[in-house]
Amino acid sequence: MILFLLIVLWLVFGVMTASSLLFREYQNHQILGVTLSKAHSRHPEIKGTIAFFTKACYVVLIVSVGCSFLLLIPVIGGFAEFVMLVLIALNLFVNWIVIGHFQKILIQIKEKNDWVYQKTKEENIITADLDVARETGKSSISSAWVWLFLLLSFIPTLFLLFHPDKRELYPIGLSLIGPLCQALMVSLYYQMRSLHSRMADGRAGVHPSFAQREERINSISATFSALAMLVFWLLFNLSMLLLYVKNSLFILVPVILLIAALLGIAQWQQSKMRGLQEACSDDSSDGKESIQEQQNRWKWGVYHNPNDPRIFVPRRVTGMGWTINAGRPAGKLLYFGTGILILLIIGLVAFGGARDYQVTVQDSNIHIDAAMYDMTIKRDQVVSISTTDQLPGGTRTNGYGGANKSFGHFNMEGYGKCMMYIYNHVDQYIVVQLKGSDPGYVILNDKTPEKTKDLHRTIDRWLSGK
Amino acid sequence: MIIQIDMAADIPIYQQIRNQIVLGVATGQMKAGDPLPTVRQLAGEIGINPMTVSKAYGLLKGEGVIAMDRRNGAQIHSLPVEGDAMDLDFDQRLTLLISEARIKGASGQELKERVIQLMNRVYEMKEVLS
Repeated sequence: MILFLLIVLWLVFGVMTASSLLFREYQNHQILGVTLSKAHSRHPEIKGTIAFFTKACYVVLIVSVGCSFLLLIPVIGGFAEFVMLVLIALNLFVNWIVIGHFQKILIQIKEKNDWVYQKTKEENIITADLDVARETGKSSISSAWVWLFLLLSFIPTLFLLFHPDKRELYPIGLSLIGPLCQALMVSLYYQMRSLHSRMADGRAGVHPSFAQREERINSISATFSALAMLVFWLLFNLSMLLLYVKNSLFILVPVILLIAALLGIAQWQQSKMRGLQEACSDDSSDGKESIQEQQNRWKWGVYHNPNDPRIFVPRRVTGMGWTINAGRPAGKLLYFGTGILILLIIGLVAFGGARDYQVTVQDSNIHIDAAMYDMTIKRDQVVSISTTDQLPGGTRTNGYGGANKSFGHFNMEGYGKCMMYIYNHVDQYIVVQLKGSDPGYVILNDKTPEKTKDLHRTIDRWLSGK
Repeated sequence: MIIQIDMAADIPIYQQIRNQIVLGVATGQMKAGDPLPTVRQLAGEIGINPMTVSKAYGLLKGEGVIAMDRRNGAQIHSLPVEGDAMDLDFDQRLTLLISEARIKGASGQELKERVIQLMNRVYEMKEVLS
């Protein structure tokens, strides 16, 4: 379990570093969100700063990965999930600090060298080129592909419809998450297709042939992102439903493939766009090209532009998905809702991870007090009681599965539906068989094998007292 | 042709689109037969509701500035647009503008010079472009 958490942590750290590194590339007349002309972007000072920024990103990655090994310390491992969330939050914060710091350095270099670009005339003015607008949708890859991928993402749902026995492993409701993500990819396709770069001088005008090629690059990357999402979803379901994988590490394979594919597509899209901008710009410029100072729309790491009517906008590194425009009232609401949800998850993880089970044996019943999964067993419900030192394979259907504890509803081979309240490191279990099949068994133990034996004796005495 | 929309202005967005296209046609930036983007294309480019663009196109069609058909979409109508340029509405609007300028302190001479300057901008740009 700890290894699983470690790999998840490393994946998050890797993605954060990769997206920071992609942000350092010169695109849309900006580096790290700071406006620079093409000639100025090649200045030795800028290049040196970016090289330093690259090193800083790698240092953050190495330190974060180093900190992740704290989970292996037994005292900290007891709160593994909570520590993992804290480490992720810290990594996000440090990456944000590093980007902000180097943005300030770039601005200082601009001021020192007196690189002054025209200020944007009006924040509220939106410019559009009618010739470019007319080309929208003409040069892109057909949208039929993304719609086809959306349809194919329903395969697991159809499979579960025709194989009800598999629903015990995997609720049918969860099988709709894939189509939902795929529907978002369809929207991303349409957003990216109509995404046209602004000219260096701030006008919306771009040459129609530039717009056509840009549209092609964007639609190709959106289509391949949708394909990567579909492959991930089908592989994930294959491992869950057909291969019935007991080793949770295998589940990470599709996740790693998806992340690698999305990063690769983002890198390809950026390099193509840079090439296109290079090809379409005047290379003889000495840095005095009439570019316009672009406002940095990214505040606190989120997109904030009240004048942009879109709620969902492509990320800073286009091709890596979407983000929410916090400048719009609906965007603020979405951020607020997401924030509450994240706090709720952190709270539940902390609550579930920190709280021990309390098994109270009373006159006529046993009460198990566990976060959100309390249970009371009456004496006349119990068929038999036994112990075992080995649990068969199974899946969690609704419950908490932490590094140290697992509790809630499970589906176990040979037992069927059962409730579990177990400490993972204790290989001694009390199995209480109940009348009925939902749950058919309650499996529990205590913090040590000795305490588990004591608990078994107590429950045995309670049962024989009938 | 490039249009600029001020999202914070008091003038409705459909009116701004209509005005800019009229200006573009008058100054010769757009010629008879030039195609316009579809309603969805322009709405997507500016980031506004397609109904707003549709309203602007509807106005332009009503004024005879553009023609719309199912095969070719919207395109600039052949000029001159039908109708009397110096009608009552023209007189009323210009009179109002002159009145507003006068109560703000503009002299008759200043107004004449300004009107000629603006006329030259529209007519001369057209000549340069043609």
